[in-house]
Amino acid sequence: MSSCGNPAVEEQALMPRRSKFGKSKDCVRCRLKPGNIVIRHAVYCKECFTPIVELKFRKALEPSVNARAGTSKRPKLKASGNLCLGFSGGLGSSILLDMVHNTYFSNQPPLDDSGKPRGGINHPRNASVWPSCIVCYVEVCGAFPGMQDKTEDIRTIVEQYPSFDFVPLRIEDAFDESWWTKVSGSNSTPQVWLELSKEGLITDGLHVASKVTGLTPVEAIRLYLSSLPTQTAISSALQNLTRVLILHTAHSGGSSHLLFGSSLTSLSISLLSAISQGGGYAIREELQEEWAPVATSGSKPSNVLRVIRPLRDVTAKECAVYAWWNNVSVIGRDKQRRAILGIAALTKNFVVGLEKDYPSTVSTIARTCEKLEPKDAPSGQCRLCKRPMQSAIQEWKGRISIRSYSDDKLAADLAHIPLPCRSNLDTSTPSQVPPLLALTDFLCYSCHTTLTSRSSRGVKQTAPGISSVTPLPIWVGDRGLHGDGLMGGGARRKIPEQEMLDTVANFLIDKQDDEE
Amino acid sequence: MAGTMMIKLVFSGGLELLFSNERNQSVLIPSFVPSDNSTHSSPSSSSSTPSSYNDTPSTGETKAADLEYLIYHLRDHLLKERPELFMENGTIRPGILVLINNTDWELEGEGSYQLRNNDEIVFISTLHGG
Repeated sequence: MSSCGNPAVEEQALMPRRSKFGKSKDCVRCRLKPGNIVIRHAVYCKECFTPIVELKFRKALEPSVNARAGTSKRPKLKASGNLCLGFSGGLGSSILLDMVHNTYFSNQPPLDDSGKPRGGINHPRNASVWPSCIVCYVEVCGAFPGMQDKTEDIRTIVEQYPSFDFVPLRIEDAFDESWWTKVSGSNSTPQVWLELSKEGLITDGLHVASKVTGLTPVEAIRLYLSSLPTQTAISSALQNLTRVLILHTAHSGGSSHLLFGSSLTSLSISLLSAISQGGGYAIREELQEEWAPVATSGSKPSNVLRVIRPLRDVTAKECAVYAWWNNVSVIGRDKQRRAILGIAALTKNFVVGLEKDYPSTVSTIARTCEKLEPKDAPSGQCRLCKRPMQSAIQEWKGRISIRSYSDDKLAADLAHIPLPCRSNLDTSTPSQVPPLLALTDFLCYSCHTTLTSRSSRGVKQTAPGISSVTPLPIWVGDRGLHGDGLMGGGARRKIPEQEMLDTVANFLIDKQDDEE
Repeated sequence: MAGTMMIKLVFSGGLELLFSNERNQSVLIPSFVPSDNSTHSSPSSSSSTPSSYNDTPSTGETKAADLEYLIYHLRDHLLKERPELFMENGTIRPGILVLINNTDWELEGEGSYQLRNNDEIVFISTLHGG
């Protein structure tokens, strides 16, 4: 029973709680058996439930399998490359593994009465849609001292599916030049380091350090994470590192499709969390994207990787019940990692609580985000998260934030900040930093916020003896950083003035025309 | 034992970590329990279990043992750590799915479902994400 909150009514006059399902407890699909599960006010029996979940999975995935849509309503499925699955050990990715195997890689197709494969030749189980499948897992224990390495437990799970090849990665590979050489073919990528201010903060100017200190990949990632200003930033950084590691691994391995096991609940959480952290511009990429690394100038464009979340219409409750009724073993994520606080954890608590009483609102979040579209075309690909980058971010930030101080006392307080980092704060002082050292223009708004956000709980102090620089992932330095804005691959180019004039020449009004 | 019921429990989805890492357990529940869900004098309680969080003496009124009482009982006598991850605002925490004999507890009246001997109650955490 729930109270309506009106103090004028009797305390015992409670409003009856709304039923969580329709009038009947029988299955709405077969209408023969009593229901076993309630999914968003609809009741299903155990036998009808599994096919419904599998149908949602296929409807979310199969329209994106073929490289071209074609004209047939039910085309024969044939992908242009192999398949890559991102596996975390969690509920959604465990079910993804099971469904993909049963639907597309099972070797024993069921036969009908005449001995032919059931479902016809176009049924997914009877045709090889993808020639092979790799399962990528990113172990994060290197980032957290004392965390247990679960790679072998994950390997045991993946080995239950003999058609799949297991590709274990480690989170510190993001700072490992040898891994980058393997996936990109580039063996001369410089490690980019950020200069820290006196207080150990990554400054708003995001200036590149001039010196390089040799660190192991594990030391580098721990230093990187410890330099981030907030728990939210750490959580976001780990997600980005994991995603980019898997993207590059899948792409370099010849995959045409990369699947993640995000359920509808997880997806809604990540959408809200991303928007809260300034990632609204790339919200469509959070749902589904076609990704390719930015090619260096002169090289041919690389194949596109389709990143899909085929469980995006399946709630966490459906995933849990599917796993239980189909004996899908779920390892789960490490408790220490799940305990990371921040916006992501707060959003998760909110959405999970919302789903309990108002299950349809979780779907509403995802459906609404699907309709969002950025106003303008991206100006390139963010160097850190590899997602589309909005143009004119710094100009916009300049309009909404304080960039200069007229008060003499405040200006004097800037003296403790190193000169290269002071330029963005004090416009009265001419910048003495060459453009070569500025990283700001190569990052999207979300990544910029991740690196420079301030915690209300105060700033972290740099311990004595700790380096005043922090490393960035190895792919940030790919293709170099040039002061004239020429990044290669057409991502961003400074247009000469004459070229700009030629472009708009037809739209200019001559003075002679005005006088007439 | 007269006036008691054997309830089979299964913990899944990581929830077993809160219950001594034992997936399958069973408990003895009295057929009639205090209406205020006090678990002070439950047949499963012993000196080795953590001290009860609900030590107030029962008011004397009783009810047929239901799922709401079972949840309090599990929190007070079987849970080893982090009670806030299992129970919230007097009921099961959001994100934990409950199946009663393979049926969603929402179809059986949730906490007001009256327990029967040899019922199987499954608690599955859905909070491990994708």
